[in-house]
Amino acid sequence: MSKRIALLPGLAIICVMFLVPVGFVFQHGLFDPSFTTEHFTRFINRGAYMRIFWTTLQVSSVVALACLIIGYPIAYFIVRQPSRRRPMLIFLVLVPMWMSILSRTYAWMVVLGKEGIINQTLLWVGLIDEPLKLLFTTGAVYVSMIQIMLPILIVTCFSSMTEIDQSLMRSARIFGASPFKAFREVFLPLSLEGAITGTLIVFILSMGFFIVPALVGGRKDTMLANIISSQVSTGNWGFAAALSIVLLTATLLVMFAVRLFSSRFVHHQGETS
Amino acid sequence: MMDKAMRPLTLFYILIVLFLFFPILIVVPISFSNGRFLSFPPEEFGLRWYREYFQDPIWISATLRSVRVAISSSLAAVFVGTLVVIGLGRRRTRKSGALTSLFLAPAIVPNIIVALGVFILAIKVGLPDNELTLIAAHTAICLPFVILIVGSAYRQIDPTLEKAARIMGAGPVRAFMAATFPALAPSFIAASIFAFFISFDELIISLFVMSSAETLPMRIWNDLRFEINPTIAAISVFFVVITTATMTFAELLRRKAERRNRVPST
Repeated sequence: MSKRIALLPGLAIICVMFLVPVGFVFQHGLFDPSFTTEHFTRFINRGAYMRIFWTTLQVSSVVALACLIIGYPIAYFIVRQPSRRRPMLIFLVLVPMWMSILSRTYAWMVVLGKEGIINQTLLWVGLIDEPLKLLFTTGAVYVSMIQIMLPILIVTCFSSMTEIDQSLMRSARIFGASPFKAFREVFLPLSLEGAITGTLIVFILSMGFFIVPALVGGRKDTMLANIISSQVSTGNWGFAAALSIVLLTATLLVMFAVRLFSSRFVHHQGETS
Repeated sequence: MMDKAMRPLTLFYILIVLFLFFPILIVVPISFSNGRFLSFPPEEFGLRWYREYFQDPIWISATLRSVRVAISSSLAAVFVGTLVVIGLGRRRTRKSGALTSLFLAPAIVPNIIVALGVFILAIKVGLPDNELTLIAAHTAICLPFVILIVGSAYRQIDPTLEKAARIMGAGPVRAFMAATFPALAPSFIAASIFAFFISFDELIISLFVMSSAETLPMRIWNDLRFEINPTIAAISVFFVVITTATMTFAELLRRKAERRNRVPST
C-alpha cells in the first residue's frame, strides 16, 4: 500500500543511526577479527568488572524499588483528589523534570560537598566538629537518582490509576468492605500493572546511568556506563563493546523476566470492566 | 480509614514535592550570588554569574551549537516521526506492532550503547567531530518520543473527515493536509519542544561523537569535573525558566487539542 512509503525515511534513520551502530557494537564485542569470547572471559575473570556489573544491577534495583515505594502513595494521593485539582498536583511533580540532569547533579554536589550546604549548616549549629563525607558516596548516588527518576514513576502510576473506575471502590465499600480491604482487593490489583511498568522503566533508565555515578559517586559506585566510557577513551573498543552487550542483555533479561512473572497475576483492565 | 489516610498522605506529598524541587531551590540563590566563591546563603546578590555566562564566548558558542543541533534534530524527528505515524496507520496489526517496537527501541536501549555504536560508525565513514553526525544520532533518539506524542494525537482524530476529502476527489496528500494536518499541529509543537530538550540535554552521544566542538552539556560536564563553578548555577536557572515556560505552553496546547479532537463517543 502507498501508505507504507511514508515509513521509509524513519526506517532509514533507525537503520543508519540505531541498528547499524548497535550492530557495530556487537561486531566489535564478539569479533576481533574472527569470533572470540576473549572480552567476555576478561569480564568474568576480573573481579573488578563483575563487581561493577553487580553494583549497576543493585543500584538500579534499589532506585526502582525506592521510587515505587515513594511514588505509588503519591500517585494514589493525586488520583483520590477532586479531578479539577489533579492537573496542578501532577504539574508540581513534573516541573523538576524540566531541569537538566547535569544541573540537578550539580545542585547535589553543591549541597553534599565537604564545604557544601549541609556540612556548613551542621558545623554552624555545632552538631559536628568536622565535615561529614556526604559527596562521593553511595548514598549521594541514591538520593540524586531517586530525585531524577521519581517523577517518571509517579506519572506512569498516575496515568494507569486514572483508568480505574472509582465507583468500583465505592461499591466495595457499600458491600461492607473496610476502606483498607476495598483498597487491597479492588484498587491495588487494578493499579499493579501501571506500577510494574513504571518500576521497570525506572530500572531500565537507571541501568544506563552515567552522569550521576561519575559526579557524586565514589570509586566503588562506578557503573557499567562509566567503565564503557573510560574503556573507549583508552582505545579499548572491543572490551567497551563487550561491556555494552552485557549491559543491554542484562537490561533486556530483567525486562522479560519481570514481564513474564507479572503476567501471571496482574489483572488486566479489560477483564474487569 | 482510607480517608483518614489522606491527611498523612497530604503531608507526604508536600515533603516529596519539596524534595523534587530541592535542586532548583538550591541553585536559584547561588546563581544570584555575587561572591567570588561559592557560598550558601550568598553574602551579596547580583548578576555576576549571568554576566560571566553571557560574556564568555566559549559558553555562548557551546550554547549556540547545542541550540543548532537541537533545532535541526527536533525538526527532522518531527517530520520523519509524523511520516512514520501515518505509515503505521490507525489499525494495530501484528506487523505494525513489530514495526512500532522497532521505532521505539532507541528509547529502551541505553544511550551509552548508541553512543559507542555511532562513534564507531562515525570513524568508519570518516565523519567524527561533525555536527551532522550528531544531528542524525539525536534525530534517531528523539524519534520514539515524537512517534508516541504525534501517534496518540493521530489516533484521537476522527478519520471520517479525511475520508470525506478523499471521496470529494482530493488526492491522499491534499486530503491529509486539509483534513488531518491542522488537527495534528498542536502535537507537532509539543513533540518538537520535547525533542528539542532531549537533544539539548543529551551528553553521552555528544561526548563520544564530538571532540573539539563542544555542546553546552559537554562544556558543563568538562567544567564540573574540575570545579564547582557558580556559572553553571546561572545557566541552570536560565534554562529551567525557558524549559518550564515552553513545556507549560506545549502541555496547554496538547490539552486544548485533546479536548477539540476527541472523537464523540458512540
